[in-house]
Amino acid sequence: MEDNPTSWFMRITVTILFLFLLAPVLLVFPISFSGDQILAFPPSSWSLRWYEALLGNNVMMSAFLTSLGLASVVTVLSLIIAIPASYAIVRLKVTGSEFLFNLFTAPLLLPTIVLGLAILIIFASMGLLATFTGLVIGHLVITLPYALRVLSVSLGNLSLACEEAASSLGAKPLAVFGKVTLPMMAPGIVAATALCFLVSFDEVVITLFLTGPRMTTLPVELFHHVESQADPLVASVSVLLILMTLAVVMIVDRTMGLTKAMASGRAVSMSTVADAT
Amino acid sequence: MMHQTIKRDGVETIGNPHLSLEGINKKYGLVEVISNLNLEVRKGELIALLGPSGCGKTTTLRMIAGLIAPSAGKIAVGGRDVTHIAPHGRDMGLVFQSYALFPHMTVAKNVAFGLEMRGLSRADIANKVAKALSMVQLEHLAERKPRELSGGQQQRVALARALVIEPSILLLDEPLSNLDAKLRDEMRTQIRDIQQQLGITTVFVTHDQVEALSMCDRIVVMKGGLIEQVGTPHEIYERPATPFVASFVGRTNRVKGKRTADGCIRIGSSMIRSATPAGQDDVVVMVRPHRIHIDWNATSTEQDETANRTAAVLSRITFIGDVIQYHFDVDGSEFIVEESTKKSQSSHRHGDKAVLSWSVEDTLVFGADQ
Amino acid sequence: MTTATFDMPVGAQKPSSTAGIAVALLLPIALVNAIGFILPVFNLARMSFNEALPGGGIAEAFTAANWTGLLQDSFYIELILNSIMVSLGITLATLLVSYPIALYLHRASGAWRTFLTVLVISPLLTSAVVRTYGWIALLAEQGPVANVIASMGFQPPRMMFNTTGVVIGLTEILMPYMILSLMAGFGRLDPKVEEAARTLGATPFRTFWRVILPLTLPGIALGCLLCFVLSISSFITPKLMGGGRVFLLATEIYDQAIVTLNWPLAATLSMLVLIIFGAALAVYSRVLRMIEG
Repeated sequence: MEDNPTSWFMRITVTILFLFLLAPVLLVFPISFSGDQILAFPPSSWSLRWYEALLGNNVMMSAFLTSLGLASVVTVLSLIIAIPASYAIVRLKVTGSEFLFNLFTAPLLLPTIVLGLAILIIFASMGLLATFTGLVIGHLVITLPYALRVLSVSLGNLSLACEEAASSLGAKPLAVFGKVTLPMMAPGIVAATALCFLVSFDEVVITLFLTGPRMTTLPVELFHHVESQADPLVASVSVLLILMTLAVVMIVDRTMGLTKAMASGRAVSMSTVADAT
Repeated sequence: MMHQTIKRDGVETIGNPHLSLEGINKKYGLVEVISNLNLEVRKGELIALLGPSGCGKTTTLRMIAGLIAPSAGKIAVGGRDVTHIAPHGRDMGLVFQSYALFPHMTVAKNVAFGLEMRGLSRADIANKVAKALSMVQLEHLAERKPRELSGGQQQRVALARALVIEPSILLLDEPLSNLDAKLRDEMRTQIRDIQQQLGITTVFVTHDQVEALSMCDRIVVMKGGLIEQVGTPHEIYERPATPFVASFVGRTNRVKGKRTADGCIRIGSSMIRSATPAGQDDVVVMVRPHRIHIDWNATSTEQDETANRTAAVLSRITFIGDVIQYHFDVDGSEFIVEESTKKSQSSHRHGDKAVLSWSVEDTLVFGADQ
Repeated sequence: MTTATFDMPVGAQKPSSTAGIAVALLLPIALVNAIGFILPVFNLARMSFNEALPGGGIAEAFTAANWTGLLQDSFYIELILNSIMVSLGITLATLLVSYPIALYLHRASGAWRTFLTVLVISPLLTSAVVRTYGWIALLAEQGPVANVIASMGFQPPRMMFNTTGVVIGLTEILMPYMILSLMAGFGRLDPKVEEAARTLGATPFRTFWRVILPLTLPGIALGCLLCFVLSISSFITPKLMGGGRVFLLATEIYDQAIVTLNWPLAATLSMLVLIIFGAALAVYSRVLRMIEG
């Protein structure tokens, strides 16, 4: 097949399409080193001025810290809430557990623009707009379904035998959970952690409805900045965002190996309708 | 329900059973998977629950362990009613078919788990773990993770983990079924030796009759949630209580016959006799293939007090290595006869005539509806 | 419910205690779900029947005025039709550029396949804002794409602040979803089937048209559904690349909610998006039945 002209045609097509797919992300890196005042590609000169501008930009830096704190709190809460929930649904098999699972993952089926508006209206009446608490709850609405899904799959794939063995060896239910179930769920927990962190850190649409001048996140600030002036500062912030993501992915890779992460990452990305746009 | 009592002839009644199941019943919705099961196990006895898949043997074991609650009935250990005691309070050592080793713990940690749950001191734990591992000859692998072990080694870790807590009862759920044939033979001996050495009461679930016959003091043959027969391996093999037991344990010929007025049984044109009485007119006759003798030269089919004889025509020969199977036609019924193979095999062919004979003692007769 | 304890171990068999534990474990997630999902969504549906007062006020009412007004206003009818048409166009474009990649990935194997799959997934991990910004840089008036077109001697078309830019940007952004859906649907495309067709004398084109395409239709249907609903509800890219000159459902919802403060109208438009979702799903399941049947 090597000399087949159609296969060459195919390869060239695929290469061009991959370029199309990756171009906008790759372009951000050279632009961030632009020495120009305005956005232009290729830049007429190179410099680190936009990284300096970023460090000197109090709004961006405080939004970055807010995002970091928000994503951390949301991730920890997601695990604390979703681990017991997945246990109740998968292990205790309560009546209607399938319905509950569908209900708790349903927020992912709604477009974020609709969900964001819906939450805005309710939170306005509760005084939760532009508050950290409001943002945490808003983000939990979409991180919990991811966490619940990943953790339930991970728990469901565990054979009951180990837990039964532990209890026959004299472990009380809580000890069985703490010493056997939880450690065996570790890969799922790592995946859920990474996913919740990334989803929360990158969330824009719902957050747009919930933030205000008092309280804003990095992606939202970035959005507003692009809306008003698409200068190379955006590129340096983008590089920061991409590096954050890369760091999280690398940590997951180190902890559980690329293939496993890929497998769960693929399962998750297939199952989502939210987040990307 | 005559097969559910263990108080049959030749089996002494158990005065003070270590484990007893009384009237155990298990239903899933409307489906009854265990019906009125009664069983008593002596202290230090190795008893097998033997049967095809779906017969309820594993369910019974899991009820003894407390992993499943019976719908009705009582389970007692050493006179103590444990029916409503959770698994962690039952003090039973359980070995799973899949071994169920904790993948995130080393071998030593796996074995130590039950002792830690019992709050033993570090020194005691280390001591007992070392002993248990040496018993299964795995001291050198103490720091390995389960995934780094072979199937046989994992199996031995599971055994050590179950035994180190010195349980009142050891429960084995098809422990050898995931091992290859050679290893299975070795482990059979090893498990039996350890069980004898510790004198631990053991319930062994298996679908493999060879395991049950070779390792156990007594065998409980189960089918469809009911006990078919309880007895020593010898009794189960030589005096099966039901046609199911006869055909599940060991190989057997199965031929339909009719009882005649003089107490004999007619198979086609042949008349045979049996030591076991059967009250019905329509009967099933069973004879183990290797208990039949072939006389290639005889022509007389004269019966006597101790032997049945019948004329037969050879229809097929199957060579299976250590055994050769002759398929005979006896008035339209098929009889299989097994003989050990010898180096120089006399050549017999399709259509050869012979006289089959077997002892009246070896003639098992059951009512046809059993 | 006394028999609901199927294979529960002894001790966990009392339904009351199991139920109590389960309720305790599920309470937190149920609370978040109620406050952040159920209540808001029902409230949103209710909001679409309220009356909007000038200046951002809302009067509690039960009127279909928002709905009837919407369907009589030619601006909104055009907006809805335009949104649907643009989304269909984006879906088709995404399918065309994703199919070759998906087919290539399906045939690839080993580390090469893993590497390429990571490349496909990696944009998913990058914020839509960042990727849209990349497109703004690429498609700007003096940008690289315009320069390339100009260097070939053509007059570069306007690609920013109009529908063209939105379509290009969203097509790229939705590609990973389409590729992954297609690959999921390619499962039953065995390379041997292709070989069989070729050995029976089919040309590559005929093989594709008669064998490969029909076998991959379920994946195509899934990918198209996903891309259609994602594009009709997408907001970031149309907002930033449309520059306020491209009017689509999602951007209109945002403007009504945040700029005009007409929440009842925003709620009505949101409900409309959900109705279009439902319709898309219905079409999808019909198409799927046709393919499978």
